[in-house]
Amino acid sequence: MAKIEELREEARRLLRDGKVKYIIGYGTGRDGWRAVPIFIRQPEEADRLIWNPTCVHNLSRFLADEKRRQAREKKPDRRPVGIVVKGCDSRAIVVLLQEKFIRRDDLVVLGVSCEKTGVIDEDKLTDKLKGKKPEKIEFGDQGEFIVAAGNEKIAVSAGELLAERCRECRANFPVIYDFLTGEKSPRPVERPFGSIERMEALSSEERWAFWKNELEKCIRCYACRSVCPMCYCDECVVDSISLAVTADTTAEEKAQKIKWVQKSPEISENFVYHLVRAIHLGGRCIDCGECERACPLEIPLRFLNKKLEKEAKELFGYEVGFDVSQPPLISCFRDDDPGDFIR
Amino acid sequence: MIQGILSGNPMHKILNKTVFSKWVKELRSSKIYFPRKDDSGRWNYAQITPDEDAILDVSQTTLPPKKILFPQREIFLEFSKNIEGDGETLEVKEVMPEDGSTIIFGVRPCEGRAAWLLDKVFAGDFSDPYYWKRRNQTTLIGLACSIPPSENCFCLSVEGSPHSEEGLDILLTDLGEKYYVKVLTEKGEKLVEAAKKLFSDPHPEETKKAQAVQAESEKRLRRHLQEARLISEKLKGMFHSSLWDEESMSCIRCGICTYLCPSCHCFDISDEVDAVSPLRGKRVRTWDTCQFPDFTMHSSGHNPRPDKASRLRQRLFHKFQYFVEIYNQFQCVGCGRCISLCPVGIDIIEVLDKVRSHGS
Amino acid sequence: MDRNVYLPQLARIIEIKEEVGGPRPIKSFRTKFVDGPGFIHRCGQCAMLSVFGKGESMISISSSPLVKDYLQFSVLKTGRVTTALHELERGDLIGLRGPYGNGFPVEDWKGKNLVFIGGGIGLAPIWSVLQTTLLDRFSYGELTLIYGARTSRDLVFKEELKELKSKMPVYLSIDVAEPEWQEFVGFVPQNVSHRKPTPENTIAITCGPPIMIKFVIQALKELGFADEQIYTTVENKMKCGIGKCGRCNIGFHYVCKDGPVYSWAELKKLPQEY
Repeated sequence: MAKIEELREEARRLLRDGKVKYIIGYGTGRDGWRAVPIFIRQPEEADRLIWNPTCVHNLSRFLADEKRRQAREKKPDRRPVGIVVKGCDSRAIVVLLQEKFIRRDDLVVLGVSCEKTGVIDEDKLTDKLKGKKPEKIEFGDQGEFIVAAGNEKIAVSAGELLAERCRECRANFPVIYDFLTGEKSPRPVERPFGSIERMEALSSEERWAFWKNELEKCIRCYACRSVCPMCYCDECVVDSISLAVTADTTAEEKAQKIKWVQKSPEISENFVYHLVRAIHLGGRCIDCGECERACPLEIPLRFLNKKLEKEAKELFGYEVGFDVSQPPLISCFRDDDPGDFIR
Repeated sequence: MIQGILSGNPMHKILNKTVFSKWVKELRSSKIYFPRKDDSGRWNYAQITPDEDAILDVSQTTLPPKKILFPQREIFLEFSKNIEGDGETLEVKEVMPEDGSTIIFGVRPCEGRAAWLLDKVFAGDFSDPYYWKRRNQTTLIGLACSIPPSENCFCLSVEGSPHSEEGLDILLTDLGEKYYVKVLTEKGEKLVEAAKKLFSDPHPEETKKAQAVQAESEKRLRRHLQEARLISEKLKGMFHSSLWDEESMSCIRCGICTYLCPSCHCFDISDEVDAVSPLRGKRVRTWDTCQFPDFTMHSSGHNPRPDKASRLRQRLFHKFQYFVEIYNQFQCVGCGRCISLCPVGIDIIEVLDKVRSHGS
Repeated sequence: MDRNVYLPQLARIIEIKEEVGGPRPIKSFRTKFVDGPGFIHRCGQCAMLSVFGKGESMISISSSPLVKDYLQFSVLKTGRVTTALHELERGDLIGLRGPYGNGFPVEDWKGKNLVFIGGGIGLAPIWSVLQTTLLDRFSYGELTLIYGARTSRDLVFKEELKELKSKMPVYLSIDVAEPEWQEFVGFVPQNVSHRKPTPENTIAITCGPPIMIKFVIQALKELGFADEQIYTTVENKMKCGIGKCGRCNIGFHYVCKDGPVYSWAELKKLPQEY
């Protein structure tokens, strides 16, 4: 089982020796049981780090912020950043390294293995507790969850509370790390793309109706984009002016920027935004599920991105986020890549 | 402007829950909104058909009623160029919201208070005709909160309450088998008049019970922000504090906190072109948020708020300091949505607690 | 029924003058309302210009309110709307709504000396005050203009400046020496320190790039100007122009409504976030 004390000790050591400028990890939120991202700089703060089934966030999302911060500073601190990752999160780091968005030297990867379990889906927890307020959720020794709520502690089987994406997880331990706590025990996955099959079984009219119903709810808060580690573009298809404007950008260049998507949350614009984002994530999405978790309207965005992950595997034999030496999917080709769409 | 508060005392009535849907049916010439659960299990205000069974007491809706009063997209005007003879003419036509009355049931007192705050913003020196057309046509029927609809409610701390009346036209208090009906405005009175046989005058015990329920509901709030006015004063000296940098580290600069806030009102105005030649299009208003990086960015690229720290600071200052300077009210109504739905757990109460204890 | 504040009135462009060519072009547009009530403005106020299909842009009205035949806007080409404006021709229609903002307290300055200090396009917002004082010459004391730009090409109102020299002291400057340039070479704040305007019974009115304003205020204070004697006009990104969209605020002020004109005494009390 992953031991939090080992993680804290390693964090303490790194901070004490000044090896990293800060560590991005999980800490306990104000409500006392949910994990939140924390940034620790002093060795004493290492005690704030936690590891429990509420550690759902993909912290590699904050690596883009670090890059932007360095670009703004006159004399940036170029020491690496420490980051706590689960298996899925580590695949995001692999993709960022493949794309050369970050360098390996800029990171100290503190890996934590989920072993036989994973993280929880909060809605499932709420259903299970039926109104009782959770106090603490922890990993049990046999891969179950120990849930403390309303003055009692119960053991709940992982299957009841696991996030959907964990049930299809193919990387329950980090694929890249400088430090690892927990066993690298492979976990059998029943059906790797099982959740997609449900969608694929629908006819195209049914699928259209499904997505129209879902995407009408979208309020374009861009939480899905903001929480995704791979959505690091300075100039996104939905932003109407470039965030990369400099003093030398001419008026014509700004005037000629095409507004691909209107700001209005009309169904046409929402479709374009989500489909373009999914396509831009083809071969890059590692299914951390954060987009769906962050969405306040509960739009099942995982389906879109997961479908493209499946396509990458089936059409191109491409496994996203496992091998740093592999080039990004859309920047390479094989001679025998499928071409039956060319008529 | 809003139609008058009733001169004289507000009207008090009792409505039996068994005839509640009869009342709703009497109002069917209007568009009627109720909180409704969608297929993902989330509550939201949605239009119902008069025959639908409508439930009032639900947990907090994701989107506040602001989306009906101040829709995420509305058309301001339409423009078109026409070739006539040798030249072109340009026609610009305003597009006002449709006529027709709207009734929203189940509005929480915090949401009513938020509408009251939005009223202040959209009135003033330049009255916003689109907002007021909708506002004047809309009647808000509030439901006092017997229990907090969210675990993060803190309305009492920002000078609201689970039974506040600002912004509402009617306030219902749940007495178990009946509703205690307090009619606050002429608009509210009209709705009661439409089915006046269903309403009876309250007995003194019923009035007492309503008061007791309301007093009890205040004790049930689980969260509090101590000394909000003191925090407001203290903020003045904390513009340059390093607190904003620290607290904004985990912010992912999405729009959830502001889009779902009942009293946030920032918007964008843009032209949408439907045809280029001859030109035809619309000018629309859409929600915008101070949390997006390009919100304040000048055409030159200069950005007064280039980083997350300054944008978090702007949100908190606007709600707890700037709005207080202008209107002597907090712009926050304590609904807790921003806390419940922030994907990284940024908690406005926690941050403001740190403001209060800063330096001591 | 009050007029819809978001609905522009139509105005025709009756004259276009190219003030500055090259990579940072500036054009002056003189517009006349087609029909409708039009509006009368105060010095320093702005209006939202609409190029339908592109959007709106908040531009200072650079003509004096005493001039009734037209409203003049001097526009730097910098983005989508201003590029579209620059492509318009005489006779084209635009939308105009306004006037917005608080204006300069010109009435309070009667009897005082006025020093106008501008940089680049920044001369345009204070031009209306300058023109007004010239049309009402005897109500004001001594008038002085200190104006500069990056290069001689970037100076606006070139012909008007030539005429102006016969009516009042005009001290021009450019950042870097050019072969034909006879006047001061250096930044505008340096020219201010060089010319040493006296603070006695004087109001200084300045506008230009934020960095220039900062150093001009510094130079004026070194010369003994009090904070209440220094006036400037600030800008921020704007959309509604009427203090509702929440975008242009500096502290609890909305620049479109409570500004854009501020004395340094007022402005320094607000958070310096603009």
